[in-house]
Amino acid sequence: MEDGNRKDETFRPTSEQIERWMHRAFEMAKEALKNGEVPVGCLMVYENMILGQGRNEVNETKNATRHAEMVAIDQVLAWCRLNERDWHDVVKRTVLYVTVEPCIMCAAALRLLNIPLVVYGCQNDRFGGCGSVLSIPSDDLSNTGKPFQCISGYRHEEAVEMLKTFYRQENPNVPKSKARKKENISI
Amino acid sequence: MKPPEKRMKIEEMEPFSWEVIPVLSDEKSQDVDLLPAYAAPIFNKKETSRLVKEVAGVYPLKCLQHLKRVRPCKEKSSTHPLEILLCLVSDVREAHETKIIPSLSVLFNGSFDFSGLGEPFLVKVPAHPPLTRPQFEEAKCHWPTSFHEDKQITEAIAGQLFSKEEKVKMHMHMGLAIEAAKAGAGIGMEAVGAAVVQPNINEVLAVGHDCRNGINPLLHAVMVCIDLVASGQGGGVYSYRDHPACSFIPSETYRPAVSSSYSAGNSGSAEAEENGVCYICTGYDLFVTREPCVMCAMALVHSRIERVFYGTSSPDGALGTKYKIHTKKDLNHHYKVYKGIREKDCLELLKYN
Repeated sequence: MEDGNRKDETFRPTSEQIERWMHRAFEMAKEALKNGEVPVGCLMVYENMILGQGRNEVNETKNATRHAEMVAIDQVLAWCRLNERDWHDVVKRTVLYVTVEPCIMCAAALRLLNIPLVVYGCQNDRFGGCGSVLSIPSDDLSNTGKPFQCISGYRHEEAVEMLKTFYRQENPNVPKSKARKKENISI
Repeated sequence: MKPPEKRMKIEEMEPFSWEVIPVLSDEKSQDVDLLPAYAAPIFNKKETSRLVKEVAGVYPLKCLQHLKRVRPCKEKSSTHPLEILLCLVSDVREAHETKIIPSLSVLFNGSFDFSGLGEPFLVKVPAHPPLTRPQFEEAKCHWPTSFHEDKQITEAIAGQLFSKEEKVKMHMHMGLAIEAAKAGAGIGMEAVGAAVVQPNINEVLAVGHDCRNGINPLLHAVMVCIDLVASGQGGGVYSYRDHPACSFIPSETYRPAVSSSYSAGNSGSAEAEENGVCYICTGYDLFVTREPCVMCAMALVHSRIERVFYGTSSPDGALGTKYKIHTKKDLNHHYKVYKGIREKDCLELLKYN
């Protein structure tokens, strides 16, 4: 087991690194928007290498959990297998760069993997798990991996604008009658 | 997959050693909050309607619409028949600070004729409308309260929500999850199992176990089942070739489903059927041996699950223990959660780890 101090000093990317990787994440998000996808771009970077990059694949896979982060995580794990690396060692030195705050599910997934740091652009008011709806990175969850740090607000207006553009369109896969009706709160 | 009900007769199952306990939102499960207020005796019954009108004109109590304005006096020997609620203590600044009960002229500044009304006294009133019968029973001890009963919740709390037949089905479906958990444990996985069922036709769509010790540490039993359902719909991400206890049936074999008589409030599946498509887990039930973590609970929100039944609670569980993701107001989908299904059998599974 590593002690917390050593971990902290290792995982503070420089502002140049943040600039560089976030720029790339934003390029991906723009690309997604152009192709009618949820405009979220994300990268998982380990020692200056991109081990994973994903975009939302919910519609293709018919699996609502296939958010960009989950797709990228799978790539990181696949890289570890291919290179015969223990994923525990790799993941604890991997930073996630993403244009939008991870949702509650993804935040929990990142925690379960012991990702130390997440850099993101704008908040996710609908589902955000890093402060907007819940605060998964810092909550007291001793059986759910380790807490992680967040750096937020990078080009957030731009990220919000992309989301707004996307959500003005309808999701053709949602059953019609379900569209934005006031839902009953279940017991 | 065999239809499970053929394997066991209802009579053999009774009595069940387990109870279905609904996991309610905080608002529905919490104790009744009370607020200090002033009330006053009404000595002359004939003045009541006038007094109610006058008092409500000054103190409308807009946020306390669930409270009745007048109550009969509790003490039989009393000199007055009725009591009227005047205002909250917090409505009167000076009284709040001095703790002296203000007089009628302080409360109403002489704005109307107080005849028939006695000197104010302190009472405690329920701060929120009661949502469940137990809350109502407690609330009305303090001050009469209106109550719009949700029958389903009352039955759920009284343990009457499910018929014997339904409990038999639950027993079977949780049995599939338990078997899967054991199979998973046999190949070095955490002993957690899950099954997804389409309730209106009682069809088991997917059964899976935890695969987190395999290629992906995030493949908890719930995530596996969500992906298995996706596979059944022609999607899916992972291969379960090495995990024979993880299985699904293709959606063509269970479509189209017709009746949705199984449960009221199953609107999700009804809608999906009307549209002739299955959309992720809309309208489906999940059975899982232990309470899902926050990742899995939120995955079920994204998947539009209808109901979740679990056996035992988990330390970081997100459907009752640490969070109640299924009732979180800010989220765009809510589902019902029940715990305690075959709790003892599910608890046994912990021994495998």
